[in-house]
Amino acid sequence: VSCSMAGEEDFFLEEKRFKQCCEDFVKHSQQIGDGWEWRTNKDLGDGYLSKTHFQVRNRHIPPDLKEKTDDNTEQMLFAHIEEPLDDSEATGVFSTEEVVRYEYHVLYSSSYQVPVLYFRACFLDGRPLTLDEIWGSVHASYQDRLQAGPWDTITQQEHPILGQPFFVLHPCRTNEFISAVLGGSQEHHRHTNYIILWLSTVGPVVGLNLPLSYAKLAPEQSTDADL
Amino acid sequence: MTDDKDVLRDVWFGRIPTCFTLYQDEITEREAEPYYLLLPRISYLTLVTDKVKKHFQKVMRQEEVSEIWFEYEGTPLKWHYPIGLLFDLHASNTALPWSITVHFKNFPEKDLLHCHSKDVIEAHFMACIKEADALKHKSQVINEMQKKDHKQLWMGLQNDKFEQFWAINRKLMEYPPEDNGFRYIPFRIYQATTERPFIQKLFRPIASGGQLHTLGDLLKDVCPSAVTPEDGEQKNQVMIHGIEPMLETPIQWLSEHMSYPDNFLHISIIPRPTD
Repeated sequence: VSCSMAGEEDFFLEEKRFKQCCEDFVKHSQQIGDGWEWRTNKDLGDGYLSKTHFQVRNRHIPPDLKEKTDDNTEQMLFAHIEEPLDDSEATGVFSTEEVVRYEYHVLYSSSYQVPVLYFRACFLDGRPLTLDEIWGSVHASYQDRLQAGPWDTITQQEHPILGQPFFVLHPCRTNEFISAVLGGSQEHHRHTNYIILWLSTVGPVVGLNLPLSYAKLAPEQSTDADL
Repeated sequence: MTDDKDVLRDVWFGRIPTCFTLYQDEITEREAEPYYLLLPRISYLTLVTDKVKKHFQKVMRQEEVSEIWFEYEGTPLKWHYPIGLLFDLHASNTALPWSITVHFKNFPEKDLLHCHSKDVIEAHFMACIKEADALKHKSQVINEMQKKDHKQLWMGLQNDKFEQFWAINRKLMEYPPEDNGFRYIPFRIYQATTERPFIQKLFRPIASGGQLHTLGDLLKDVCPSAVTPEDGEQKNQVMIHGIEPMLETPIQWLSEHMSYPDNFLHISIIPRPTD
């Protein structure tokens, strides 16, 4: 499997624009309490978006729920927990080993000129999830794509700023689907927040969902002369 | 005049004499003898140490053995870095043989990537080659190749077959006649003293006026603190494949001739020995 060829249609993201989109993204996240922050590396001045949250992996899904496709099912599969579980919620439905701490980072790849999603996950006792467990937790809708090419989709890699093992969603094909989604020229979509568009597409593959209010984010400023 | 192609062979066939010793806390049924091996600079630890694993597993019980990992003077060695890079970065100014400690327990999850099979190494190697070509050719050359060509690059590395590897790799080292080099140079600069694992940035081999950028130009642009002379003396060595290329060397030439098989220039900045 190889990366898409570069061409006029491809939607590349320059690093400056990446930083600006991230800045706007964090501002909105702060407004709605979604937990994203920007971290800067003091050596080179570059940085990344970061968010940590807890999810419950519910293994005991009754067969009929698998048939449904509405949002309620997603809530069951990945209950988004902001507060620590108290005992009354913990007993009877979930066991503590199934609570997973996810840490998501959005970095910029200068080689591919796209954002890249890094993440790591561990159980409450500190045990990190294995690659197989990560592959297993990929949303059902994406399992076919994953099975067709697991090594091109999610692998373990070294975080380029922290130097620690993370899982990575491959940036190779990002341009393919971003171009498909946008469908028009770069000029037409210059006001779109690339990060929101991209993250809302790739995030759900690995259990990361963006609240709908991000769609209402004010477009980037432009002068009338640009239009 | 020495043919530039001789450099390609010298890089490919570089070896580091290494002594592998089992970690003292590993539980053995009898004493474990050290194991000596010449490691290829251009390969990866987990690709070339099957014999090391077999040697030590012979004196251990099956239940005591899980994923192998390597350490040098307390530092876990990242198998996904080429062997030559690891040596230059951590041990280049120490006496040979390189002494590596072998572990089978307590895998350092926070430091090392897992490597459960050769597929993992192949996936990593091919990902590096693809990224290098994204920089050099906007991925055009690697994408035009067939799957069997990709496989040949990997098999060449795995089986130490110089000709087999370069039959395909030479295409990744070409550029359009109207250009004088690659679009950007694939490189990473490593310094053991920094928290950040490496520095990688976009860098063009040709200046806007058409002059060739040098190794010195690259360092000045990307890592100036590494080469600023203090009291007129260079505090650091800039090392690739165990040698210090002249800073005047064109970076395009270095990229074509001294890249690792993954098509990256892996450059180590290490303290200059004081004696």
